[in-house]
Amino acid sequence: MLSELLQGIETGGLLIIQDSCSYSGRDLLRSFIAAALNREEEVHVLCFDVSEDELTDGLKPPATQRLHVHNAYPDPLGWTDHPAFAVQQFRLEDLTDLVKQASQPKPATLVIDSLSWVLRHAAPPAVCRTLQQLRKGGAVRAVVALLHADMHQRGTVGSVCHLASSLVAVAPGPKGNEAVAKITKRSKSGKVAQDEETFCITEDLTVAVLSRPSSLPEAKPNGSEEEQADPTANLTFNLRLSESELEAKQKLTLPFVFSKEKKTALLHPGPGSGRILYEPDANDDYDQEDPDDDLDV
Amino acid sequence: MAAPVSGMGEAPAERLPVNSTSFQKKTRSKLVSIPGTRPSVQNGQLLVSTGVTSLDYLLGGGLAVGTVLLIEEDRYDSYSRMILKYFLAEGVVCRHELFVATAQDNPDDILQELPAPILDDVAVPKAVEQPRLTGEPQDSLDAMKIAWRYQHLPKVQSALASSSRFGHYYDVSKTMEAEIRQAAKCHRFCLPDHVTPSSTAHRLESYSALLESLQEVIHREGFDLAAPMSKSRNILRVGLHSLGSALWGDDLCCHDKPRHRHALTTFLYGLRALLRSSLSVAVVTLPSHLIQDRALMGSITRLCDNAIALESFKGSERETNPLYKDYHGLLYVRQVPHLNCLASQLPDHKDLAFKLKRKQFSIERLHLPPDLSETVSRVSRGELASACGPSASGTKNLDF
Repeated sequence: MLSELLQGIETGGLLIIQDSCSYSGRDLLRSFIAAALNREEEVHVLCFDVSEDELTDGLKPPATQRLHVHNAYPDPLGWTDHPAFAVQQFRLEDLTDLVKQASQPKPATLVIDSLSWVLRHAAPPAVCRTLQQLRKGGAVRAVVALLHADMHQRGTVGSVCHLASSLVAVAPGPKGNEAVAKITKRSKSGKVAQDEETFCITEDLTVAVLSRPSSLPEAKPNGSEEEQADPTANLTFNLRLSESELEAKQKLTLPFVFSKEKKTALLHPGPGSGRILYEPDANDDYDQEDPDDDLDV
Repeated sequence: MAAPVSGMGEAPAERLPVNSTSFQKKTRSKLVSIPGTRPSVQNGQLLVSTGVTSLDYLLGGGLAVGTVLLIEEDRYDSYSRMILKYFLAEGVVCRHELFVATAQDNPDDILQELPAPILDDVAVPKAVEQPRLTGEPQDSLDAMKIAWRYQHLPKVQSALASSSRFGHYYDVSKTMEAEIRQAAKCHRFCLPDHVTPSSTAHRLESYSALLESLQEVIHREGFDLAAPMSKSRNILRVGLHSLGSALWGDDLCCHDKPRHRHALTTFLYGLRALLRSSLSVAVVTLPSHLIQDRALMGSITRLCDNAIALESFKGSERETNPLYKDYHGLLYVRQVPHLNCLASQLPDHKDLAFKLKRKQFSIERLHLPPDLSETVSRVSRGELASACGPSASGTKNLDF
């Protein structure tokens, strides 16, 4: 499933890569950027955590024409007079302007490295609202964000991941350069698909999916089907029927087997078969509180 | 007790008028007869169906008009959204009016996904559906050879269902046709249209905007109980999706100690007061798995009348548990209201599991299979004897 995600995120999708300090998800994020560039898409990157050089290291020149990096690393909070991009600009209007002025008419993919920076300096409900509006609006085709799960409270991480259409949680794998990814994908119809894969990232930012650590349930081989244990075998008496006995059994008429007409007549009682006509008379005028009918009320 | 029938042989013109006695049957207090509702057999409240017949049974026959049903969402909000859709679809079929509120999504998204009702459904006897082994032409009577008198009785089911036909059944694989849906009047509330978000707001405005909008709809459309009963009355079904999530501007789910701690509880208090004085019923879904403060969750549950929680097996380790293989998740009934009575009728079974089938959302009691393995421990005879009879040391004191 990781390779499917790398090949393309559906329009209006939000992919969140959740990592922790034991394994950094930045390499996976960079391979998503590389894959999007190779697909001839415009990519806008909001760079908070690391410098621009470190992020774009390994991306080849012809592809980097479509890459627009908004470098917030030197001055993320806008302390100088002219910051390239500041955290306060993480709002729908500013982001839409940013994306529209740089790219071609085709909508772009927005990559955020990392969302944790934004969540530290802006209120989580506002960030969630902005992310949701970005997805619904037409300026951005899809959003890929990196989130450091151990930097926030569980509720914050949960709320942000609740919005995501795909979630990839990475953890260190059994061997040195391998990692395990737990992928959850939610489709619009409400179906949820989950998967767990081991992968490693090569020098040129391609992801090699190695194996699936969770063993799939063994598919039953089609050829060998166990026969149901035959209960009539291995007995000291005979329970089987011969041909003539089978015929006689089927010819036997059971008691209380009626013909079809009698059955319908019994099942659907016709009108007028048993109606009770009653008109209330003096005996029904029984008052509980005045049984002898002699009180003068 | 056979009473003599008088006037049998008389001509109809000479018959005595029917009201010859002064006996007057005590009638019930005037209950409005609104389509899609029925009075409860337990306490006389007016009930509406939630759309899921098993859920109606658990809540004591249905949702009482004027109450709130809280659904604690499952992790991926699939089944709670399904129940909300059933609720709204039931409103469309019963010709009630709808009010749908969402935070950022368009309410029309939910309305377009409503399941299609199965309109010609009567309790179809299972016997008719059995495969015809004898190959005779369409003859339902021959499907049961010996027990044919039980032909038309419905098959006994372990799913919980009310005995009377009050709710409808829906086919989840199809969506409701546009004509049926547009015949129902629907009021929508989408948060961005009503509230412009400002980051410096110290008070949460989204909930108060929602409450004002709902109050305005109730007053304008005449669902108020105080309004004169001039025209025929109808029920308003209110569906509030994912209340309390971050998209409503509330940080209840985000922080362990939320700043707007009382915003949602104040809203629920106001909502319940509004509903009690009008002919409406509300279903609220809440992502409770994100709320870290359990005490707050408890007070939210207390403020709603009915409360159920869904836990889906998808994605948890319970998915592979063979015990749960037939079901999609567990259902907990957190609270059932006691309206105008001292005690409420909680369902007998506490372990409930649900399964979303194509034509039914069934809630069943979770059965434990009998443990037939050899490792089941049995009480040894020696222990039994010592438990039942007096122990050796005990008889010393009782020795006469």
